Amino acid sequence: MGSAVSDARSSPAPARLLVEAHGLTFGYGREPILRDVDLRVHQGEFVALVGPNGSGKSTLLRLLLGRLRPWSGTVELFGRPPWALRERGALGYVPQRPTLTSEVPATVEEIVATGRIPVGRWWRRLGPADREAVRHALESVDLLELARRPINELSGGQQQRVFIARALAGEPQLLVLDEPVAGVDAASQQRFRDALVHAIAHHGTGVLLVSHELSAVAHDLDRIVVLKGTVQFDGPAARLASAGVSLGVHAEDLPQWLEGLR
Amino acid sequence: MTPTDPLAALGLPYPFELAFMQRALVAAVAVGVFAPLIGTYLVQKRLSLVGDGIGHVAFAGVGAAVAIGTAPIWTALAFAVAGALGLEWLRARRRTSGDVALAILFYAGIALGVVLLSLGDGLGGGVLAYLFGQPLTVRDDELVAIVGIGAAIAVTVLALRRPLLAVVTDEEWARAAGLPVDLLNGLVAIMTAGVVVAAMRIVGILLVAAMMVLPVASAQLLARSFRGALGLAAAIGVAAALAGLAAARLWGLAPGGTIVLIATAIFALATIGTRARQGLAHAEGEGP
Ligand SMILES: Nc1ncnc2c1ncn2[C@@H]1O[C@H](COP(=O)(O)OP(=O)(O)O)[C@@H](O)[C@H]1O
Ligand SMILES: [Mg+2]
Repeated sequence: MGSAVSDARSSPAPARLLVEAHGLTFGYGREPILRDVDLRVHQGEFVALVGPNGSGKSTLLRLLLGRLRPWSGTVELFGRPPWALRERGALGYVPQRPTLTSEVPATVEEIVATGRIPVGRWWRRLGPADREAVRHALESVDLLELARRPINELSGGQQQRVFIARALAGEPQLLVLDEPVAGVDAASQQRFRDALVHAIAHHGTGVLLVSHELSAVAHDLDRIVVLKGTVQFDGPAARLASAGVSLGVHAEDLPQWLEGLR
Repeated sequence: MTPTDPLAALGLPYPFELAFMQRALVAAVAVGVFAPLIGTYLVQKRLSLVGDGIGHVAFAGVGAAVAIGTAPIWTALAFAVAGALGLEWLRARRRTSGDVALAILFYAGIALGVVLLSLGDGLGGGVLAYLFGQPLTVRDDELVAIVGIGAAIAVTVLALRRPLLAVVTDEEWARAAGLPVDLLNGLVAIMTAGVVVAAMRIVGILLVAAMMVLPVASAQLLARSFRGALGLAAAIGVAAALAGLAAARLWGLAPGGTIVLIATAIFALATIGTRARQGLAHAEGEGP
């Protein structure tokens, strides 16, 4: 599997730039939360974004997705400003969430099928290609068996995989995940890792992952970006490790390391 | 030709053998279908009481119609749509907490209705038909309006089932996915107003929201998918409407109230049934 990934990466054609953020500054009130942030993600690239709680990771994602406008700086998704993005299906997003608060029963399959809405016109009916994409997405997070189960009967880890499948169902070129495995058991993290590596290796997807729990993907990461108001580090995981932090970057030891940076 | 001619040709048995009962039957069944359909989205968004708030605004519309002599249904529809969109606007802007916004709508609606009615004939018998519902006196033109509004809502809800599901379960994701979330929320608000107005002659403004909430509450206990919940809620709505009308004719009860009481009884049975099933599963060691 590792060789498939590196094959895709060592292909000679220059990888397309999916995300390009330059000099982003933004705050909700008067004080900026993010200062002069640069970030790039290429096709087929696996980038982790880490930083202590409240360091602005989710805010940065909202800027990248066009949900917020920066005070200054520029963002481009697939070469256009995010709010002018036409091919919404090209973007797969897994929002940060504690738990699903759904009362009306919706099945795993029904939720994942909503991931096909951004592909083409949103009022259109689903066809065979859509159903195949939904099946493939369910399969890649190992949820085919639970497809017909109401989602509110699933465990937290299983629900997270449903939201990842919803993002994968649109066959995205870029996957953006905000702490998708927080509080998820090791077996689920392994399945999650396999799903991402499959998307990268077989579909050339670029992945931007916000997470504190990187042990499962440590060997698959291309780059790690450490954020704390500004970008504190951006480079291969190995260089971060030699800077003194092992890749089992935990919620506890990462902020410590960052304090040492100051 | 009247809208109920095809039913008359069937020669329905007692209690539906008379023309006025057949008009009531068509209207009540229509309400039984479309109120729970839109209610499914309101319950999912935790907006169960919105139907009530809009009902109070519709009452102001009835008052205005009496005062200026326009058609109550269409005047109430204009008021209800304006109220629904205003409420959705407040909710989206978070200018006011949802609770306070609803309370303002409740009080302003009723107060305005009462004042407008006092300009006309006051609280006459005609107005009571809107407050408490009176399906047995539904006229052909009202029937056409009820079925027309209802059909438009049912078709829209079913056609937009998937985008609406995406919006009510996860607004943040839906926005990131490029769905026109505000447009869809506005559409739900307008359809809620349509349901309130179409159903007020049948179950009454004071009980309209019950038909949007009770069948849905029962369906979500029993159904195992969103599609199933929509279908089951509509089926329960129709069953309550049919049984309520029949019981009202048999024993001379108020039809609107009877329909809602039966919907309540179905909810009670669904709750007991679900509890019993869970209890059994637990006893057999299959429970969670
Ligand atoms: N919608 C908001 N309005 C005001 N402040 C916010 C909002 N969202 C986040 N913040 C603040 O911005 C800072 C960064 O938050 P966030 O981007 O969620 O950090 P992270 O995802 O890294 O934990 C925090 O101090 C948080 O309280
Ligand atoms: Mg966050």
